[in-house]
Amino acid sequence: MTKDTEYAIEVENLTKRYGKVPAVNDISFNVRKGEVFALLGPNGAGKTTTVEIIETIRRPTSGKVRLLGMDTAKKKHDIVPCIGVLPQGFSSFDRITVRETMQYYSRLFGCRNVDIDELIALVNLRDKAKEQYTTLSGGLKQRLGIAIALVNNPEVVFLDEPTTGLDPRARREVWDVLLGLKKKGKTVFLTTHYMEEAELLADTVAIISNGKTIAMGSPAELIESNADYLILTLQSVDEKAMEVVDKMGFETDNNNSGTIQVRVAHSDDIRKILNAMKDAGASFLSMDVRKPNLEQVFLKLTGEALDEGANGGKGAK
Amino acid sequence: MNLRIVSANLVVSIKCFYREKTAMFFTTMFPILLILVFGTIFMDDDKLNFNLCLQDLDQTETSAEIAKSLADTGKFKITRIDPAIEATKYAKDNKVNLVLVIPKDYEKSYTQYLQFDDFNAFVTLRYVYDPSSSSVIDKMQILNMVFAKVNQGLTARPPFIRTAEVSIHTRKYRFIEFFVPGIIAMAIMTESLFGTVHLNTELRQKGIIRKLATTPITRVDWILSNIVYKFILAAVSTTLMLLVSYAVFNVKLNINAWLPLFIVLDVFTFVGIGMILTRLVKEAQSAAAAANAIMFPMMFLSGSFFPLEIMPGFLQAFAKVLPLYYLNEGLRAAMVFHDNVTALGYAAIIGAFAAIVFILGITVTRWEEGK
Repeated sequence: MTKDTEYAIEVENLTKRYGKVPAVNDISFNVRKGEVFALLGPNGAGKTTTVEIIETIRRPTSGKVRLLGMDTAKKKHDIVPCIGVLPQGFSSFDRITVRETMQYYSRLFGCRNVDIDELIALVNLRDKAKEQYTTLSGGLKQRLGIAIALVNNPEVVFLDEPTTGLDPRARREVWDVLLGLKKKGKTVFLTTHYMEEAELLADTVAIISNGKTIAMGSPAELIESNADYLILTLQSVDEKAMEVVDKMGFETDNNNSGTIQVRVAHSDDIRKILNAMKDAGASFLSMDVRKPNLEQVFLKLTGEALDEGANGGKGAK
Repeated sequence: MNLRIVSANLVVSIKCFYREKTAMFFTTMFPILLILVFGTIFMDDDKLNFNLCLQDLDQTETSAEIAKSLADTGKFKITRIDPAIEATKYAKDNKVNLVLVIPKDYEKSYTQYLQFDDFNAFVTLRYVYDPSSSSVIDKMQILNMVFAKVNQGLTARPPFIRTAEVSIHTRKYRFIEFFVPGIIAMAIMTESLFGTVHLNTELRQKGIIRKLATTPITRVDWILSNIVYKFILAAVSTTLMLLVSYAVFNVKLNINAWLPLFIVLDVFTFVGIGMILTRLVKEAQSAAAAANAIMFPMMFLSGSFFPLEIMPGFLQAFAKVLPLYYLNEGLRAAMVFHDNVTALGYAAIIGAFAAIVFILGITVTRWEEGK
């Protein structure tokens, strides 16, 4: 039965091996009720294995996973009615319409009071309610998948890579739906490899690589603790400007087609660079100073993790 | 088991079937087409009608009598050939497999035989034929029988040895009456085996099974709804086949409790085999190929289309290990020969087999992905 705890999901020392290969290696984290939790990681990091264990589809090799206080390995029957799942690569019956698909899943859950039209409206599929699944575009299919995941009014919603394979416009449409869920106060467990998605939606982000958690916190905390520098971007620079930056010994991220990105530790360094440019008579068209984003943090952390794995032989491939 | 879930699944399966017109056509119309095609080919063996080319070199009233008695048998449609043409060349040029040539002097020899009691007098009718043609032997045998009767008539003495045909069945059965139960058993096999394999592998590949694994539907609900769906399809398809064969060929088969029993056993047997196959072969395409590899030899070797007697002994023995053989023979015993004891025997054998493969099928069906 549902235990009244602070956490919707508790994962303790979870390990899953396929043969001798560990897909998930001793990871632990908690997901608070009502938060959007994003599990980030490169392809093959163990995201889907982790989420499928929490959803009761797979059994862990060792460790404990509790959902709403219930052991996922023992209480599948009690857990299933409390969760809604959009599996990775969601698909449905080709010849069944949007409305009929919703009715089918609501009957599976035995939901009598569910307002299917309201759910269809929530994911903006009202115009497509009578269309067969096979005629829907990728974005519409994902939105139907999200509506299905909500059909039993679940306490926890799992969305496994909900926008993979979608074009930017369709991705934004799905994000709108997810922001709506966030407003409703649902606990959402999201796996993704799109940083922008996690930054926009998640309250807490856990980054996993090679089956291990390598960082966890809010997007702002992760950026704060892992990126103690600023990025100065100068556009349409001339050759003199490039020489000045090179001479000053700052680390440059990239420079192509007249754009330089310089990593600086303090805002004082920016003033130094600008003064040096003025003195040298160098020119540029525009400048931009900002903190690194989650993507840069992710690349830094997973890059380090991969390097560590390669150097230390800790099972990274 | 949850009836609400089973019925929800059933509704979706039936809608998918109804909206997938190609699948619907092949499931219901293909067996009917087989019945229509084979039924027409073997419509009535008694009314076989051969084309016969006849060249009368004698051109007399007596020789015309021969042509008349051949026409009277009702087995030949006679084409007369100009006596001036060379028979062998005619047969080659016109791709005719047999030309019957009545020689010149036929009447003369006939008169000599009858009027002068000259028993040394005889006449030779020539069969100019193409040995590579499969039907020519039948034609010549029928002609030989006709001429034997003419010869015997000429002696004016009734034959001493006569023959009488006694069928082991109480009435004479037509080929189509044997054929229809075989096609019913085969059609149910195809839909049950192929349908199960196709459904399970396709849904698994598309990830629908993974989604269903996160809903309250259980493995038992899923299997039960598929079984009920297959019964409905089998009942509809069998009813259509019986109606068409009655309407077109006037096939009246004995419809009794054995028919639904054998349908049930047919469904359980092949859904069971389908579930085992789905476990062994993961990809939808390879699973379809594996299902075909099981179904096609079974169709031809278990007596669905052809009587087993025409096959070599070892293949006849092999047929007896094929489940479809017991369904074919059981349905025929019940529907054609009204033989309850034989039907019971076959039902017991296939019932035991169905129980084993179905239980095995349930055991090996995995709902969750991996352990």
